[in-house]
Amino acid sequence: MARLILMFNNQAVKEYPLMKESITIGRNEGNVITVDNLAVSGYHARIDVVGKEHILTDLQSTNGTFVNDKKVVSHKLVHGDNIIIGKHRILFVGEGKTLKVATPENKIDMDKTMMLDTAKQKELLAKQPGVQVAAAATQKTGMVSFIGHADMGEIELSKKLTKIGKAETSEIKLTGFFMPATAATISKRPSGYVITSMEGKLKVNGKIIKESLQLNEFDNIEIGKYKFQFYYKGAEK
Amino acid sequence: MLIKSSGITDVGLKREGNEDSFSVDDSLGLYIVADGMGGHLAGEIASHISVDIINRSYRSWLEEDASSDDIYGGADDSLSREGNYVLGGIRLANRVVYELAYEKKQYQGMGTTVVTLLVTPSMIIAANVGDSRIYMLRDGELEMLSTDHTIVAEQVALGMMTEEEAARSSMKHILTRNLGSSENVEPEIYEIGPSGNDRFVICSDGLTDLVNDEEIRKMMEDANDPEELCRDFIRTVLDRGAHDNTTIVSVFISDLMKSRPGLSGRISCILSDITVGVHKVGKKLIPFK
Repeated sequence: MARLILMFNNQAVKEYPLMKESITIGRNEGNVITVDNLAVSGYHARIDVVGKEHILTDLQSTNGTFVNDKKVVSHKLVHGDNIIIGKHRILFVGEGKTLKVATPENKIDMDKTMMLDTAKQKELLAKQPGVQVAAAATQKTGMVSFIGHADMGEIELSKKLTKIGKAETSEIKLTGFFMPATAATISKRPSGYVITSMEGKLKVNGKIIKESLQLNEFDNIEIGKYKFQFYYKGAEK
Repeated sequence: MLIKSSGITDVGLKREGNEDSFSVDDSLGLYIVADGMGGHLAGEIASHISVDIINRSYRSWLEEDASSDDIYGGADDSLSREGNYVLGGIRLANRVVYELAYEKKQYQGMGTTVVTLLVTPSMIIAANVGDSRIYMLRDGELEMLSTDHTIVAEQVALGMMTEEEAARSSMKHILTRNLGSSENVEPEIYEIGPSGNDRFVICSDGLTDLVNDEEIRKMMEDANDPEELCRDFIRTVLDRGAHDNTTIVSVFISDLMKSRPGLSGRISCILSDITVGVHKVGKKLIPFK
């Protein structure tokens, strides 16, 4: 069965199967397709089913009926025809045919932030070849191992911020007369681990660090008399 | 430690309403931006409620000196006490938005991103859920202290997509995590030691969609104060079409004596503990228009 799809602002508003022999389009309630718009006449146009054909007739409307941007008085509809009545567009879909049109449900404003939901996700991903949703990348855990102070062994950087110094609250407690309360901190960041000098002298691979430095695996860190190496958990030292 | 801060929000040129919310609280050193989503007024309500809950819960837990047992959803041992208060506040906000969205039909599908920055003399704490971001400028270098919870960011992390492809992707606004869509949420939290002169920007995607990282770095470096920086950003976004709401909170901290390690640093540490709380109160700006 042939169908009509009523569009507004490029979105499908409603669908009408052409079941009767004759249907009318207009502003008046008595029409099969009611279009509430002042640019549309009370009884604006009619579609008659004649055998296998569908004939559109303008009912001498004030503002006219257009098919594919041409004003018509009488027109034999073919699949995909674009009927303009007032501000509305009506698409003619021939029997057994389909037309791809946006409906409010499937039209997505990609500018808007939205939360991923499974149904929407599948639909979006189907449109993007080569893209698949994967589990978030796991971050590796950093470790430090003391060199020459075997008794202190290995320390896992389990805190987001590891403070190194003399203070009781330090995660890595070091001693010595000249050792500051907090000599340096190591923080876990989106980019990995970063060491920051707080007080006193901090050296990484023999170079003095006055502010911050992104740590690379097997970097040698020096604070006072202490030396230790940074690496990732599970790595071969 | 001297803190100067400023916050601004602008509806932009294409949207009818503003779904973003923010708060600037210099007495706590707590700064929050949230970008809401959901039809009618739902997005606006979700972002507003979240900002309010995180701010109020942080304040009350700090005042009560709440213990780790009091942290909503259980304490995270890898975080400091303050970090746990931020964590608990974000979880609580998620739960409230989730319940509202579940109970009331008009709030169905409501949600929000959230990004918080906490500045204390001993620590900087950055937390986020969703794609609102936090940037830090230190020694002229820009560092992002948040992790985007989007499909494309996850693809980039796995090496399946480049940063450039991600920035152009039509899917860049699809979140994998937000407040309000599930019963529980875990934010990304980073804790770092403060330096002498750090500058921070926390913002909604209205800014980062139209201004790239290098431009953000340059503008953060060039600005004389946070208020000027906020206005510069809004002007740039409006010039480029502002298709979304844009919210920016900017925080500049300076601690001249602490910027060089040594004896003066030790003195300034003591001083900063005394002077925190009496620092200059940052100005809250009234939005344009």
